[in-house]
Amino acid sequence: MTTAPVGATTLPAVAPAPVLEVRDLVVRYGSGRKARNAPPAVDGVSFDIAPGETLGVVGESGSGKSTIGKAVLGLQPPSAGTIRLHGQDITSMSLKQRSRLVADLRVVFQDPYSSLNPARTIGQTLVEPLRLMGLRGAEALQKARAGLESVGLPGDAVDRYPAQFSGGQRQRIAIARALVCDPKVVVLDEPVSALDLSTQAQVLNLLADLRDQRGLAFMFIAHDLGVVRFLAQRSLVLYRGQVMETGPVESVNSRSRHPYTVALTAAAPVPRPAEQAARRAAREALGVGTAGAAQPAATGCPFVPRCPLATDVCVEQRPPLRLVDGTLTACHHAERVPAL
Amino acid sequence: MLAYVARRLALAVGTVFAAVLITFLLVHAGQGSPGAVKAGAGASAAEIAQANHELGWDRALWVQFADTIGHLIRLDFGTSLIDGRDLGHDLFTRLPVTGSIALLATLLSGVVGVVLGVTAAVRGGRVAQSINSGAGVALSLPAFWVGILFVYVLSLQLGWLPATGYVPFADDPVGWITSLLIPILTLAVGGAAMIARTAAVGMREALQQEHIRTLRAMGTPTWRIRYVHALRYASVPVVSVLGIQFIALFGGSVIIENLFALPGLGQTSQIAAAGHDFPALISVVVVATAVVVLTNLLLDLVVAALDPKVRTA
Amino acid sequence: MSVQPVTDVSSVAGSEVATEPVPPVARRSRVPGFLRRPGGVFGAAWLAFVLAASVTASLWRPYEVDQQDLANRLALPSGTHWLGTDALGRDILSRIFTAGSLPLLASVLMLVVAFGLGLPLALVAAERGRRVEGVISRVTETLMALPLIILLLAVIGAIGNKLYAVMAILGVLISAAVYRVLLGVAKSVRQRLYVDAARVNGLGSLRVNLLHVLPSMARVAAVQAAQLFGIGLLMVAGLAFLGFGPGEPQPSWGFMIQDASTHIYDAPWLMVPTGLILAITVVAANELADAIAGKGKDEKRRPLRRRRVVASSEAPPADPTAVLEVRDLCVAVDDGPQLVTGVSFSLRAGQVLGLVGESGCGKTMTARSLLGLLPGGVSVSGGSILWQGRELVGMSDPQLNAVRGREIAMISQEPMVALDPMFSIAYQLIQPIRRLRGVGRAEARTIAAELLGQVGIVDAQRVLSSYPHQLSGGMAQRVCIALALTGEPELLVADEPTTALDVTVQAEILSLLRSLVRDTGLSVVIVSHDLGVVADICDEVVVMYAGEVAESGTAAAVLDDPAHPYTMALLGANPHVPEGEPVPLRLASIPGTVPPPGSWPTGCRFATRCRFAREQCTVPFVSLAAHGDGSVRCIRVEELARHHATWDAEAVGAETAPDAMPDARPDATVEPAPTAGALS
Repeated sequence: MTTAPVGATTLPAVAPAPVLEVRDLVVRYGSGRKARNAPPAVDGVSFDIAPGETLGVVGESGSGKSTIGKAVLGLQPPSAGTIRLHGQDITSMSLKQRSRLVADLRVVFQDPYSSLNPARTIGQTLVEPLRLMGLRGAEALQKARAGLESVGLPGDAVDRYPAQFSGGQRQRIAIARALVCDPKVVVLDEPVSALDLSTQAQVLNLLADLRDQRGLAFMFIAHDLGVVRFLAQRSLVLYRGQVMETGPVESVNSRSRHPYTVALTAAAPVPRPAEQAARRAAREALGVGTAGAAQPAATGCPFVPRCPLATDVCVEQRPPLRLVDGTLTACHHAERVPAL
Repeated sequence: MLAYVARRLALAVGTVFAAVLITFLLVHAGQGSPGAVKAGAGASAAEIAQANHELGWDRALWVQFADTIGHLIRLDFGTSLIDGRDLGHDLFTRLPVTGSIALLATLLSGVVGVVLGVTAAVRGGRVAQSINSGAGVALSLPAFWVGILFVYVLSLQLGWLPATGYVPFADDPVGWITSLLIPILTLAVGGAAMIARTAAVGMREALQQEHIRTLRAMGTPTWRIRYVHALRYASVPVVSVLGIQFIALFGGSVIIENLFALPGLGQTSQIAAAGHDFPALISVVVVATAVVVLTNLLLDLVVAALDPKVRTA
Repeated sequence: MSVQPVTDVSSVAGSEVATEPVPPVARRSRVPGFLRRPGGVFGAAWLAFVLAASVTASLWRPYEVDQQDLANRLALPSGTHWLGTDALGRDILSRIFTAGSLPLLASVLMLVVAFGLGLPLALVAAERGRRVEGVISRVTETLMALPLIILLLAVIGAIGNKLYAVMAILGVLISAAVYRVLLGVAKSVRQRLYVDAARVNGLGSLRVNLLHVLPSMARVAAVQAAQLFGIGLLMVAGLAFLGFGPGEPQPSWGFMIQDASTHIYDAPWLMVPTGLILAITVVAANELADAIAGKGKDEKRRPLRRRRVVASSEAPPADPTAVLEVRDLCVAVDDGPQLVTGVSFSLRAGQVLGLVGESGCGKTMTARSLLGLLPGGVSVSGGSILWQGRELVGMSDPQLNAVRGREIAMISQEPMVALDPMFSIAYQLIQPIRRLRGVGRAEARTIAAELLGQVGIVDAQRVLSSYPHQLSGGMAQRVCIALALTGEPELLVADEPTTALDVTVQAEILSLLRSLVRDTGLSVVIVSHDLGVVADICDEVVVMYAGEVAESGTAAAVLDDPAHPYTMALLGANPHVPEGEPVPLRLASIPGTVPPPGSWPTGCRFATRCRFAREQCTVPFVSLAAHGDGSVRCIRVEELARHHATWDAEAVGAETAPDAMPDARPDATVEPAPTAGALS
């Protein structure tokens, strides 16, 4: 288990230069007065991803995790902040410009059914990015076959249509499409959430193997802490568009200094009845409030309405990220957060 | 909600304005001139020019347009070029004829269509297939041909109803309805087919919804599931199509009025078109557009009342 | 996008054929789908015939259009005039087909204009987002609000009787409708992830539209084009009927019908040929549209009569304390494959039983058959469901209605769509409370508020007056549970009740269910694919694989000490490890996927994917043997238990081997391997 240096996120670059740097990202949906008054989907998020590193971006629905992925990919224009790839500012580049300059940011989406065009063969799907990079005919097709073989599918699958494959196989094809032009960074947007347990394990193992073999950096978006823990070295916990906590994945999981992370960890059930009973008791003892009970004040910490530790300062001041016990946490009362 | 209605009203005014503008431009783009129409056939070029001058046709385009709009705002529709009748009064007497045909035909097609559509969705199988195919054929029949068929059967063969002509309501209510019955039936054939298809699709979709399974799991009686919950769910598309039907029938009455010699808007627009009677054309377009726009507005309000998602938005 | 795996139902519908290894290349038929339906063949053939006959009419017509046969005026069909003659003795057949090319070509022109404008506008609006869409939509809304026929008459009045120009203008007006329909399709296609993936690849806007958006819109566009073509024909004929067609002696369909209407007294036949040809041509266009849309396929399904199974329920329940006793339950698609075979389990009062397994294993079908709520075309084909000593299998719908809600209630996977969007929460709760508890409206409202309080909703009054779309997922699931409790049932069937919810909300809902069980003595059958959920709430577990029970027993026994290889593998594949324990470097995985119903192996159904499979496993039939407190369907269970077999993760890197069907491996080891993730 490799762990990144503590607090690598915002401290000056420690070892290798990050492949992906995101600073103070803000994304608002829509336009007009209504949208301006609503809280942004992503609210001042910063993180780095080092070469070969996997950053797990965790949060529940509405936390803005997928929006961050879209902004990084250029599918959703950010309202503020910068995104750098290999040090180059790509924040306001169009997708076409990006592809010309840096062909190494790719994506695997959650839904294996809608992420492949049903009217095009697997070969056509895989060759498409290669064509844009200038590869032609037989050469591109050869590369597509090799790409399929690298994800554990027979090369002659190029002649077939997506409808002939199972969900897990389609997700492998989607991975092959992302990797076929040797990117350095891949955004994985919940790549296993729609899969069954046994297939999920196949795909997770495959992702881990490919990362280790090729030194890929992953931005791994997930709602499941267990899955993140398996694949990521560092994790970034989001709530309502803001970073709650970030740090090495084991520290965030086991020695969290943020009540939301603790609540999230405690809520994920483990498949062992006796231990789960203990976790449940611990979770109920935390006293974290029901989701969606009340809207938080715009000025303070977004977790206030559910937080058992909340005081006046939490309502008034948005807590900055600070280093406590090996993780960066955005909590005024980080020192009082109970262990699970 | 109020802001919504205000916005829709603004759009409605804009639409009527657009209709006037389009017609105005078309009139001026054509080769004819009102003077030629007014002066009648065989008039000399000088006479035509004189007539055009009297009508203000030789003024700048924008002046004429402003003039037209100004008159319309004062609900002054002007006089016909052909017979000099007051167009405002003419429309006032013709609108009820077209309006009642369209409204009654819409109601009839709504009732028949919903009954058939719901039957198709609930019974399924062969019943659904025959209703669906029947509706397909009914949708394809030209209304004027169906009208002739009805006249042939109901009037000539059976002698139940008069073939053509119009009896004003004030003169004889029974005569009024019998004089309208064949036109209404004719228009309702296609209308009912359209509604039946919409209702069948809507009901079928409604019955497949997850919340219907919840109701079944609660032991809810079948009639309540079908006629309270599913029908309510299907009502939104049906009401929308009913509104579209009304608009289509209102416009479609041109042909029917011609066929059955009914003194409605359609008849006057046909005569105006044939005779290049420009003021009459513009006035008919304005009134018809206003009716369409108001129907759309009403429709939006009804849909909003039916659908909580729209109502509470 | 929802987060849960595909439900069991989808595999019934056969939406996806998931077989390993990759299936052979399916040859795509050259014949388009709509030409394989009778309506489509008729529509296309008739339109082709009319078009060909009309365009070539001048070559073959027996008479000139203005050739008068004054001796044969208003004649009925005869050898000389196949379709008769009109008032001037002109040949109807010659006139009909000579008249045909104008409406056909004018309608085509209208289509070209309408799609030439509407399609690009729809693509641009869908791509450029809200502001551009807003502007274009305002304009098209205005166009659509114009009264078509009257405006066309105004056009004719202004520019004169030029049919092609008039139809082109009609095309402009109709382009608004084309835009409106295609915009909806284009927007939904653009939401598909393959479009995003292509954009990330750097594909330009034009090529994204041409390669990925347009092909998916083709069908809707074709349907609309065929329908509009029919409307165009009617429009041209209608205008000609009003006298705005080609002038005499040139024939037109509309004017020929107009002419017929004046001879309805003396020659009714006259209206038959022209009217029929026109009607059939429009019918043909509409049939073609229906065939392209693929209608008429799904409507045939229903009438298959449900199999009525006479249950063999004479045997007394094995466990006298059981409230629910399911025996050898079989569920099958009518005239199709079996979905569930020989499932047995029993449940005591106040206990929670979990049905667990992957998609397509039959757990949802099993749960739904407890309420007789199987989807259309699927029914119980054998076995028995004894509920408090009464046989539910074979009960009629009215009989079951007396049980549903009152004794057995259900909550489902998607709380957001499980409530009727058209009615308030108050209505949806009060109505069953009045029916099931026989109380008045006011009292029912009080009870509804109490129930909401019981499921942990604090502001009951506000929730009562709201509509489903105003609730969050967790809140909606609480309301669904309250709804299920309205009839004070003794058994709750919960089908993946937390799958669509966030993990913190899931924990709250599970706590709520547990407290209901504790406080009211409710029994629960819960369907889940998540072993953590099962560990959290279940007393008993039934692990299902490919329509049958693989292993059952108490939750502690099954999860802590699994005996069936499938259970072992599921546990090994689960990435959730308690904090403090090391995370495995690789997860255990099962090669391949669950075989779809109808292609289950004859022997052990798991044998083809099982790493412990031997020759003997492929022999039919593996019975469910008792094992400890529960039972296990594995021929090698004793042997595996003796050796403390575990299903461990593969070595790092092993997983990328080609994904081919693994043979039953006779040499598979049963020796325990000291790998991370071992559960023994």
